[in-house]
Amino acid sequence: MLRLAFLLLVLIALPDTLQAQVRSVEVRTPRPFGYFVGDLVRVQVDIVVDDGFAVQAASLPQPGPVTYWLDLRDIAIESTAQGDARRIRLNLTYQSFYAALDARALEIPGFALTVASERKDGVTTAKAQVPAWSINVSPLREVQPPPREDPTEYMRPDGRAAPMDMAPLLRWAGAFAALALLTLALLARDRAWIPFGKRRGRAFAGVQRSLRILARRPDQDAAYRESLIALHRGLDETDGRRVLADDLPAFLDRHPAYRPQQSGLAGFFTASRLAFFGRETSAARSQWSLRDAETVARDLAAAERTAGG
Amino acid sequence: MNTIRHGDAMLTDWRDTAARFQCEVGKAVVGQERAVRLVTIAIFARGHVLLEGDVGVGKTTLLRAVARALGGAYERVEGTVDMMPSDLIYHTYLADDGRPRVEPGPVLRKAEDLSVFFFNEINRARPQVHSLLLRLMAERSLTAFNREYHFPDLQVFADRNRVEREETFELPAAARDRFLMEIGMEAPRDAQARRDLVFDPRFHDTDALVEAIEASVIDHAAVSGIANAIQHSIKASPEIEAYVVALWEALVRPAEAGIRLPGVDMTALIKGGASPRGLAFLVRAARVRAWLEGREFLVPEDIRDVFPEVMAHRVFLEPVYEMRRETIVPGLIRAVFETVPAP
Repeated sequence: MLRLAFLLLVLIALPDTLQAQVRSVEVRTPRPFGYFVGDLVRVQVDIVVDDGFAVQAASLPQPGPVTYWLDLRDIAIESTAQGDARRIRLNLTYQSFYAALDARALEIPGFALTVASERKDGVTTAKAQVPAWSINVSPLREVQPPPREDPTEYMRPDGRAAPMDMAPLLRWAGAFAALALLTLALLARDRAWIPFGKRRGRAFAGVQRSLRILARRPDQDAAYRESLIALHRGLDETDGRRVLADDLPAFLDRHPAYRPQQSGLAGFFTASRLAFFGRETSAARSQWSLRDAETVARDLAAAERTAGG
Repeated sequence: MNTIRHGDAMLTDWRDTAARFQCEVGKAVVGQERAVRLVTIAIFARGHVLLEGDVGVGKTTLLRAVARALGGAYERVEGTVDMMPSDLIYHTYLADDGRPRVEPGPVLRKAEDLSVFFFNEINRARPQVHSLLLRLMAERSLTAFNREYHFPDLQVFADRNRVEREETFELPAAARDRFLMEIGMEAPRDAQARRDLVFDPRFHDTDALVEAIEASVIDHAAVSGIANAIQHSIKASPEIEAYVVALWEALVRPAEAGIRLPGVDMTALIKGGASPRGLAFLVRAARVRAWLEGREFLVPEDIRDVFPEVMAHRVFLEPVYEMRRETIVPGLIRAVFETVPAP
């Protein structure tokens, strides 16, 4: 009698315990419409089970064709604790190959999943049923309008952008170009570049230029003498008279801007005397070389720009 | 034992002597450094000098000082309107016995030892006297008493004041051309020198002043030789030759050289002058200056330094400009040096 009562109790309790092992199944689907051939459908299934249960891998759907129009591309499973229960989350990726001619609803079939709990006294299994759900597929292109020979005719013309007004931009560009040219002209004038090469008050810039040309001459002695003459003419032009060696102090008094070059100029005059009037060009060159001449000319040209404004 | 002196060393010694000479003369003539220097150059260039300036600026003192420091025989005559050439050569007088005598005059008295002949107020003498001087200066010789007299060491110093024009005779161009230099003398500008000249009694007694100068600093008999040595040892490069010729050209034809002077028609300014002899004198004087500066070659500064004194009196202007000569010629010379490039 007592044995019968126990069996009855088990029978009554069993479905209850079965129910309790899978607590809930929830399918989260993306939008149910607007799918075209080849689109991927990603689904998330959350199954909450009693603690200790795990999915039996064999019961998982296998990637591959599901129906003639549907493939399961990928399945991923993750399991996390959720209070005293356990949440099993499946991420399923389907791909639809249904080439629809009109908009229609298609059902993605559900499947059953087995969860199992291993204990000392045996294995307890339970089933979780994932329900089917449906998506609406649409044809890739319209069927209703009459067919056209040239497919581009189906294309709608591009939206028209408002025409830009170029005039202000062109005006700015012109203004900046003029400004750039003006600046270049001012720079060229300051440096006595080509169109201003003979400019008054930039004698040493010309000297510097001719020294650069002379330095490339093969006959160095002749080039040296011409360089000295070029420097003489630069000094003459700057002073408006012929400047001889003895005039250097007076020259520097009249043009104090060149005072820092006093020693260079003194060296130049000594070398010039030796080269032209002492007939000893090579001795002069060893004392005061063409390089010194270029240095002095460069410094004089710089001083001239500073002084001349 | 005599040591044989190298030629260059001899020139160096003489340069020191020349410096001492200038220093000695400078003791008597203050504030006239440039005039003293130019006279020194003239002595070593063996050239005659004409001093020009106001009355009482020290022309005569300078020449007396130079004559004393130079050594050698010294003669002096004063130019007067009635002076005739024979007055320079002959001295005629009635002797104690009542008979007329003719003896050598100032020029011949010291015979061939004469080293300084000082002609005071030369523009008061007649052109006949100037002509006599022509030969004396150019050839350093004279014919008198039926024989030739030679004066190898002679230097003629003359002075002329530019204040008076009455009873004076302008020197003929040929005579002016024979002077190496015409040195203009002015009262010193330096305030201290002026004060000394006015208040220091030392400068009031010219005889004592000249006496204080060391006599015969220079051996006058050796000057000819040393002058020759200077002329041969100072080198002139082709550049300086070209420079001098360019200066000459610009001086004679200023319009073509691009020289402009205010208020002057440059094409009708120069009548003549600037003779080759003048240019030769210029280079002679410049060489002496180079030697005094201790250089062995000529530089343009040498030319420029002596140019006004050597060349200015050799330039003859058209008569319309002759009266403005004293402003035009210095301006022209300055413009020439500002125009002609060196080298």
